[in-house]
Amino acid sequence: MNKIREILNTVLENRGKPQINSISDSSDLRNDFGLDSLDLAELTVRIEAEYDVDIFQDGIVTTVGEILEKINNKK
Amino acid sequence: MMKNILVTGVSRGLGLEIVKAILADDENFVYGISRLKTKELDELLINNANRFKWLSYDLSNVNDVRNKIFKEFIGVTTPLHGFVNNAAIAYDDIVTNLKYEPLLNMYNVNVFTPMIISKYVIRQFLLHNTKGSIVHISSISVHTGYKGLAMYASSKGALEAFSKNTAREWGEKTIRSNVVVAGFMETEMSAMLSADQKDRIYKRTSLKTPTVTKSVAETITFLLSQKAESITGQNIHVDSGTI
Ligand SMILES: NC(=O)c1ccc[n+]([C@@H]2O[C@H](COP(=O)([O-])OP(=O)(O)OC[C@H]3O[C@@H](n4cnc5c(N)ncnc54)[C@H](OP(=O)(O)O)[C@@H]3O)[C@@H](O)[C@H]2O)c1
Repeated sequence: MNKIREILNTVLENRGKPQINSISDSSDLRNDFGLDSLDLAELTVRIEAEYDVDIFQDGIVTTVGEILEKINNKK
Repeated sequence: MMKNILVTGVSRGLGLEIVKAILADDENFVYGISRLKTKELDELLINNANRFKWLSYDLSNVNDVRNKIFKEFIGVTTPLHGFVNNAAIAYDDIVTNLKYEPLLNMYNVNVFTPMIISKYVIRQFLLHNTKGSIVHISSISVHTGYKGLAMYASSKGALEAFSKNTAREWGEKTIRSNVVVAGFMETEMSAMLSADQKDRIYKRTSLKTPTVTKSVAETITFLLSQKAESITGQNIHVDSGTI
């Protein structure tokens, strides 16, 4: 969870968007953090580099919980 | 810092010239792809052993791009700065003889695999926050018709559209995409043309001469560099002034 927050903050920082302090399973990537499609692409790439999982490979993810689920399924 | 550039079709013709032009700047490193290792390519590899790596990959294979090219050959941890989509084949025939299999194969090599490579190239740019530059090689046949080139020209037209839209989509991330539209060059690709056909082609140019591969390669190198930082979404014609 902390690692995901770190990655999210890197993406936000790269677009000059405000940092986030806390995240939960139900946090919505677009609505709560203001990520757009380009940010989501960068998020995908950074998560893939860390966990070797392409979170958008099959279907859309909208929440932090869904990202964690994809990462855990891989393990 | 070293700039890493991926170039396809490096075994002969324009591709060899592109690699030479890029390596002329000793801050550049080339990851080159083709099926065969020709004598000229081998020499270039030996003379630039610490700045030029090569992979044999058949671009008709659309499926192994991520594993073979990005994970094993370049490596995800390597920052990438540029991609030159140069490899191509020409399916040369009149439209009434068109067959699906060779058409599909040409599209795999000229369009589909390069599009998939572009996907991973952009991902690599994003991961490393590089101001990446993509250059596709198109042909003057897209803009001036030639008998027998309808299928080939259509594949290059697809790349021009893909490039323009890539530029628009990724400009915000300082990623650029441009096309160099080459005129007829004296390479293996145009070797099947008769002297008479070539003559007629050259007569349609302002300079009345074949397009020089070195001039095309230098333009590509310029577009890859920061000197071209405000140029994106463009088609740059290097075609002896075809009219
Ligand atoms: N020649 C012209 O008059 C002309 C005019 C306008 C535009 N262009 C464009 O300029 C670019 C370079 O062409 P060229 O004249 O240098 O052609 P070329 O001499 O035929 O070289 C083509 C290159 O592409 C590679 N290639 C072809 N099929 C491949 C495959 N399945 N997998 C991997 N690599 C493959 C070849 O390597 P291997 O065979 O070793 O795989 C070779 O290195 C092309 O995009 C072409 O469309 C050429």
